[in-house]
Order: sequence, then structure tokens, then C-alpha cells
Amino acid sequence: MSKKLGLASAVLLLAMTAIMGCTANNNAAPTNSESASPSESVSPSASPSASTAGSGDYKEAPMLQELVKAGTLPAVDQRLPVKADVMIEPVFESIGKYGGEWRNPWNGPDDKWGIEMMTEEPMFRFKQDGSGVEPNVAKSVDVNADSTEFVIHLRQGMKWSDGMPFTADDVVFYWEHMLIPETFGKALYDCYYSIDPATGEKERAEVTKVDDYSVKVAFKHSSVQFLERLTIDNKWFFAPAHYYKTILPEFIGEDKALEVAKEYGFADTKTLGQWTGYYYWLYPQRPTLRPWVATNDATGNRFIMERNPYYFKTDAEGQQLPYMDRIVLDKMQDPSHKLVETLAGNVDISQFSFADYTVLKENEQKGGYRVIPWTTPNWSSTGVQLNQTAEDPKLRKLFQDIRFREALSVAVDRNEVSEIITSGVGVPAQAAVPASLPGHQDGWDKQWTEFDAAKAEKLFDEIGLKWDGNHKYRTFDDGSNLSLLIYEEKGSDDEKFIELLRKYYDQAGIKTELKIVDQGSYFDLKYANKIPVAVKTVSLVDVALRPDELVPLRVITPWFGHYGLYTSSGGKEGVKPEGDVALILEYWDKVKSAKSKEEITKWSNEIIKLHQKNQWMIGYTAATPYLTVVKNNVKNVPALVNADEFRGIGIAHPQQFYFE
Amino acid sequence: MSSYIVRRLIMMIPVVILISIIVFFIIQLPPGDFISGYAAKMTTSGEVMDEAALKLLRESYGLDQAWYVQYGKWIWGMISKGDFGYSLNYNRPVSSIIGQYMSLTLVVSIISMLFTYAVSIPIGIFSAVRQYSIADYIFTAFGFIGMATPNFLMAIILMYLSYVYVGDPMLGLFSPEFIDAAWTYAKFVDFFKHMIIPVIVIGLGSTAELIRVMRAQMLDEMDKPYMLTARSKGLSERRIIMKYPVRAAINPIVSTLGWSLTAVFTGSTITAIVLNLPLQGPVMYRALLSQDMYLAGTWLLFMAVCIVLGTLISDILLVWLDPRIRMRKGM
Repeated sequence: MSKKLGLASAVLLLAMTAIMGCTANNNAAPTNSESASPSESVSPSASPSASTAGSGDYKEAPMLQELVKAGTLPAVDQRLPVKADVMIEPVFESIGKYGGEWRNPWNGPDDKWGIEMMTEEPMFRFKQDGSGVEPNVAKSVDVNADSTEFVIHLRQGMKWSDGMPFTADDVVFYWEHMLIPETFGKALYDCYYSIDPATGEKERAEVTKVDDYSVKVAFKHSSVQFLERLTIDNKWFFAPAHYYKTILPEFIGEDKALEVAKEYGFADTKTLGQWTGYYYWLYPQRPTLRPWVATNDATGNRFIMERNPYYFKTDAEGQQLPYMDRIVLDKMQDPSHKLVETLAGNVDISQFSFADYTVLKENEQKGGYRVIPWTTPNWSSTGVQLNQTAEDPKLRKLFQDIRFREALSVAVDRNEVSEIITSGVGVPAQAAVPASLPGHQDGWDKQWTEFDAAKAEKLFDEIGLKWDGNHKYRTFDDGSNLSLLIYEEKGSDDEKFIELLRKYYDQAGIKTELKIVDQGSYFDLKYANKIPVAVKTVSLVDVALRPDELVPLRVITPWFGHYGLYTSSGGKEGVKPEGDVALILEYWDKVKSAKSKEEITKWSNEIIKLHQKNQWMIGYTAATPYLTVVKNNVKNVPALVNADEFRGIGIAHPQQFYFE
Repeated sequence: MSSYIVRRLIMMIPVVILISIIVFFIIQLPPGDFISGYAAKMTTSGEVMDEAALKLLRESYGLDQAWYVQYGKWIWGMISKGDFGYSLNYNRPVSSIIGQYMSLTLVVSIISMLFTYAVSIPIGIFSAVRQYSIADYIFTAFGFIGMATPNFLMAIILMYLSYVYVGDPMLGLFSPEFIDAAWTYAKFVDFFKHMIIPVIVIGLGSTAELIRVMRAQMLDEMDKPYMLTARSKGLSERRIIMKYPVRAAINPIVSTLGWSLTAVFTGSTITAIVLNLPLQGPVMYRALLSQDMYLAGTWLLFMAVCIVLGTLISDILLVWLDPRIRMRKGM
């Protein structure tokens, strides 16, 4: 009997919420059309426009309204920052309405960066046109004339997702107790150092509290790009002090902290600090500033992030964002599951690489979604890198010979690669900085692109490569065997391209071998300098902001191999850079110690030009788009640039996505 | 009998210890370790992983020590505290991960096992009794197809059909709206619907095999003189079949029953990956790939114990079932 009663009341409750949800939506709906046009014209500059919508009457999601009515949550105007400091997020198409669950499968915590980018709220963020950064969590910033002092202003009355105030203390706490002592297992980021132009020495910044809502970051030397670098290196320059004071050993003692660690499931306090400090968005206990916050264990079969009732942004009409109630991440063991579910129409917004283009397009109608192509800052869609520090000295000499790279470039028919590998979408082109990105050079993408077997042959002869007995393969000039060992990372989808590449190299008389290894082994091989030829391109927005792939600073990109180790070990290990590679590092030092933006542009351009001259990375076809797949009833999803620097889909500001 | 069981149980101990050492050693044999794979994955997501960060990670997970030191710590924790170590992948105690997947794994495996026996034994008997009849040919044909088709391929075919005709590939064990819901009638129906493909796929391979075994055994037994005796006594055909040849023919099935203990606890691996089932198999597979050695090690050790135990159970069952064995062993 009591069971029946419980069921009945549950049904009643459900019906009530449904009705209330409907009415709330109806209230919001009529206002949509009126404000759609003005909001479109609002540029995404985050100057906190004082003219908030209406009389400061904020609107909130029905699910929060319930809680307010029940008395478990303060009213919406008490949850938002003070009126002048509320951030108004421009919408892409139209003012939205509340509700809905964003279904987006993931592979479990290994995919943590994907959900991180969707929900990220950095101190500063890149503008949607990529032209620079704008304040986000910060309200504004004052920079002095020589870029040595940055006063960051925060939003008054802004709160963490647990309702505690977010103040300058949280920034200073993060600096003093998390960044400096490396609580979360990362060395202090480069952006916090300024470089002495005379000696090249690094000087650490000072971070101090000015008042409750401002923080000063002071450098000894000019740090022109501090804000951009901060946005890339250390997006969240703050942490909830009140939370960490209840879990870190520094505050509660080692024994107590170990207890907390065990409660969270960690083996020791170090891992507790690392995971809650770095991958914090996965933990429901940890307050954040994000539009959605974790509600359950991320290692389970279904991870749910729910709206943050204290989120600091509204739309132009004063509706507190985000529009969508939840992000629901079901665990999928294989990437193909996500694809299948998307085809079946069970995924609302998700991103795919170009490899899935055909199948996604074929099923567009049936799945009820649309495919929005995003551009990428990739230099190429089919790239080959020759390790300039290859272990074998003969091979190293050959790879460093620019004629060899030219020969490999012209030995391949790019039209065929374009047709077979990219269905013609990636046009035949050399690996180069794409148009519209800083450092673009006219005509570079046409360098060495004409298919010319005779020329390749001539170049090989000039280098001094001989033929073997059967006149089938080239050998070194001393008659020893020449073979290019290509390593492929498992799961990289490059099989077809590599097969085609090997065919062309074979025709040109260059013997190739292929080894396929898993990701981990590939990583180790790279560190051990054992990868002579890699099938990879580079992807970056601006070398001045993210130099790793073009400047050998550490072991990461295959083309510069152990030159990178030389820099990162301070000359103790690795291979000493010479010639143009040494020049790149020299120019990079100039970028780092530059006193003005012009200087930075100038020297980064020089670095790019050295890349154009040397073409260390050969590309056969231009970049292909990255695919954002969106259900037809989801609105406000623009087409932008998909770059890690811009935080993937995050730059589209997912908090303003909504279900029609 | 009981002294026999005790003797067997004591003999298990050195076997299991030996297996655990071999297992732990083999998991670490491939080049690289957990951290290199993890770092590679995080680097692709844009995280900076330099030498210092790698070193720190290795230290915090104790991966900078020799394998036998790690093994010693692991075994000691197990014996002294019942602690199976921490999974590097999940950052959680191994026991909690295994616990998380255990119940569904058991449900799926036991249902598919019951399906297997319920289908194969009657069919096996039938096709032996009606040897060379049309039905026998049909079952035989199906049996061969079932045996020859890899499970995962069957899974993909069924998924495709389900996608084309129902519009849903039926991944997982529940529809999204039921994953977190408490058990209700609706959830049960949904679960049942999602169970159809896995049970058919997982069950079919062994079903086909069991049909063949059962049929062959039966045919062997049917020519035996005791059949003639029974018939001359005037017993009904049905009683003769069920009482004599079936009992003898079921021997090989019972003797392998214990081995399926491991299968029950793992759930199938490849099929579970293809169908995105939240079972132990895929978790283990990933642990092995990423060299998450405490999770993988505990699991393999558990499997070893299951096999050893299963063999014992089979032996006991046989003794109980077959008087001839009982006599020979003098029990």
C-alpha cells in the first residue's frame, strides 16, 4: 500500500515538474525573437557592459527555481556577482531556453581533457576570432607601460559552485600553496618567468593581493605576452582555498590528509594533491567556477555534470547560464561506439576527425544531425617528418641534406594522395602555415609540390646515392643499405596514407620499412631517439604562444629529435643544434625577452621563415576540417577553429548552446 | 573423500604462488611502463609532460623500483592487509574496481551459460537419437556456422541488423535513461532487451561446440550392449535414453564445467568490447594493454585460482556423478 502511495506521489511530482518546466520555458520563449538581433551585434569582447538586461531581474533554470522555492538555495541575484560584474555572454544565433541533457559519450577519465575543454572557465580566454585574449573569470586587467606589472581585477560577489565567495585570496592561495610547492605535480609554468634580455636568465614573478578583488603579478623584466601565455600555460590561475584547507596535508596534517586520500580512493596524499589539484573538474567535492560541475564518480559507467547554480554569466536578457541542465557522459570502450551512437542520433554535440567524414555525411538525415566543419591550424593533413638527429650517422647526414627532403617531396603525386586519402578535400599542398594564421607566407604551400620523378632522381644522384645491383633501390654512396624506417602509432588512422607513401618512395628507389607500435612505446621510442621517420604533422596557432612543435625546447616533435633534449637538459644530453636549428633557438630567445609585440611578431616570423626555407616537415595535402556534429535541435553552435590553444569546442562557449 | 579434497587444496598454494610471480613478471615484460602510455595519451590531449613530470609520476607510483620489489610489496599487502594494491589507471583500490564490475559480469555470464546448456544438451541428444534426419542436418549446419563464426563478428552483424531495423545499435546493457535508475519493471524489460544480443553472441560459440560434443558422446553410447539389455527389458525409449546414455555422455561436459568458472567471472572480452558491455573482460584488457600491473596482476591471479579451483570442482563432480571413477579411486 505504502509503495503504491509512494509511486503515485512520485508520478504526481514528475507531472508537476514537467508542467512547471513547460511554463518556465514558455515565459522565456516569447522574448527570444525580440532580443535576437541586438545580441548578435555584441562583439565577444568581455568588457563588462554595465547595462544589464532589464531591471536586474535575473532569470534562472526551472530546476534551480525549485530549490530556491524549497529554501535550499539562495535567490538568483544573491548567487550571481554584483550587477556590474556579472559577465554577459553573447549568444551565437539566438537567446536560448533552459533544459535538456547534452549526451556526449566518452572513454572514461582518459578523455578528461575533452570534458575539461567543454566546461573550462579560464582567467582569460582567447577571443573567438583568435586575435588575442579577453578577460573571462577576471573582470579586467591593468598593464603598465613596460609590461612588468599586471593588476588583475576579479568580479565582486562572485562565488564558487558551493556558494563560498571567490576572492583574491583564492588566487594568492593557488600561487603560494599549489603552484610554488608543485602540489599538483607540475613544475611552475613558463609564463610566470620573465627573461633578462642581457643574460637570458629566468626570474620568477611575484604575486600579491592588492585588495579583496584584485591581484598583482609583478615581473622583473618585461613580459609582453604574459596574458596570452597564462591563457595557454595555466588557464585556471585560482583555486578554492577553503576546500584545499580541508584536504591538503599542509593544513590538516599528514595523518588526517591520508584519511581523506583513502576516502577519495587514493593511495597517498601526493596523488590526492595531484588529482584534485590538476584534474579537479572530475571530483564532485571540489568547488569550481565552471558552468557544469561533477556530480558523481567519473570512473563509473555514466559521468554526469550538472549546472552550477552559482555560475557567473548570464545572457543579454539576464537568464543565468548555462542553458543546458546537464552533460551526460556515457562510457564507451571504443571510439567506434561513439560514432555508431552518433549515427543512431543518440549524441547531441560531439567532435570527430576527418576520417569519419563520409560515414557521418551519409547518415546525416537518418541521424537527425548536421556536420559543421571546423578549420584546424594543422600545417598538413598528410605530413612526414625526418628526424634531424637520427641515430645512424649516415641517415642523419642524409636527412639533414635539404636536397633529400626536396626529392621526397617531389617524388609523390599529390593529386592522387588528395583524392585517395582526403576525398579531394585536402588540396595538394606543401606543409605550411595555413592562411589566416600568424606567420602565413605567400606561395609557401606551393614549394616543391610538382610531381616530378625525374627531378627526384636527379637530386638523389647529386646527393651521391647509388643504385643497388638490381637497379631497384638506392644505397648510400659507400654501397651500404639505405632504408627508411617509418613508425606508426597504433590507432592513428594513417595506414592508407603510409601505404601510398611507401609505394611512391619505392618507385623513386627509396626502400621503406614500417613498424606499428602502441602509443606508449611510440612515446618511449621518441624519447630514446629511435624514430627516424614519423608520419605526423604539426598543429599550432602561433609559434610565439606555443613553440614546442617548431622550436626544439624538449623532446616532443619527431623532426627535431634529440635537439630538444639538448635544450631541456641544458646541454648535458642530446644533440647540439647547429646551423638553422641553432638559429631558431636564438630567435626564440629574442621572442622570450622581447619588449614589444612588434618585436615578438618579427622574431616569430623569422622562425617561420627558417621552417619555410628548410621544410623539415614535408606535407602532401593541405589540412582537412575537424568535424563538429550537432543534432538538429541544438542551437548556437558556430563554426570556428579547432585548436588546443583555443580549447577545442570550448571556444564556441558551450554554456550558450541550447535545445530548441 | 575429504582427505583427498584437503590434499588437493594444499597443493594449490605453491601453484598459485608460482603463477603470481610469472604473471607479474610477464605483465612488465613489454617495453615501456604504465607511465609512458599514460604520458603519451595526455600529450595528445595537449598536456605538457616533460622528463621531470614523468620522473615524479614514476616515483609516486613506485614504478622506479625493480619488478621484484614491486611484487614483494604487492604480495605483502595482500597477505597482511588483504590489500590488492591500487590501479594506476583508475587511481582507486583494485578491489573496488573488481567489485564494481562483478555483479553485472556474473549476471551476464550465468545467463549466457544457462542459455548454452539449455539449448545445446537437448539438441545434442535429439540429433544423436535422430541421426542423419533433416533436423540433425540443420542443427549440424547451424552448429558448424556457430563454431566457425568469431563471436565479435556475430556481434557486429547483430548490431548492424538492430541499427538498421530498430534504429538503435543496442550498445551496453541499459538504455541511457535506465543506467542510473533503480531496478524497476521497466528497467528489467530494458535490460532483457539489451541482453538478447550478448547472450546469443556469447552463448552461440560454446553452444555449437557443446552440441557436437553431446551428439558424438551420445552416438558412442547408443551402440553399447547395455542399451540392448534395457530395450529387451521393455523399457520405454524415453527412459532408456535419459537414464543410461545421457548420463554417460554428459561426463565430458561436467568435467569441463569447472573450467568455465573463469569464463563466468571474466565475461567475454572481445564481445564485451564490441558491444560496449560494462563487464570485467574489457577492464582487464585495458589494464593489460596499459600495464596497469596491480589491477591486471590481481585479476590474472584470481583467474589462476579459479582454474585451479574449477579443476577440483570438476573432479569432485565427476566422482559424484560417475560410479566407475569412484570405484577406481577407491573412495
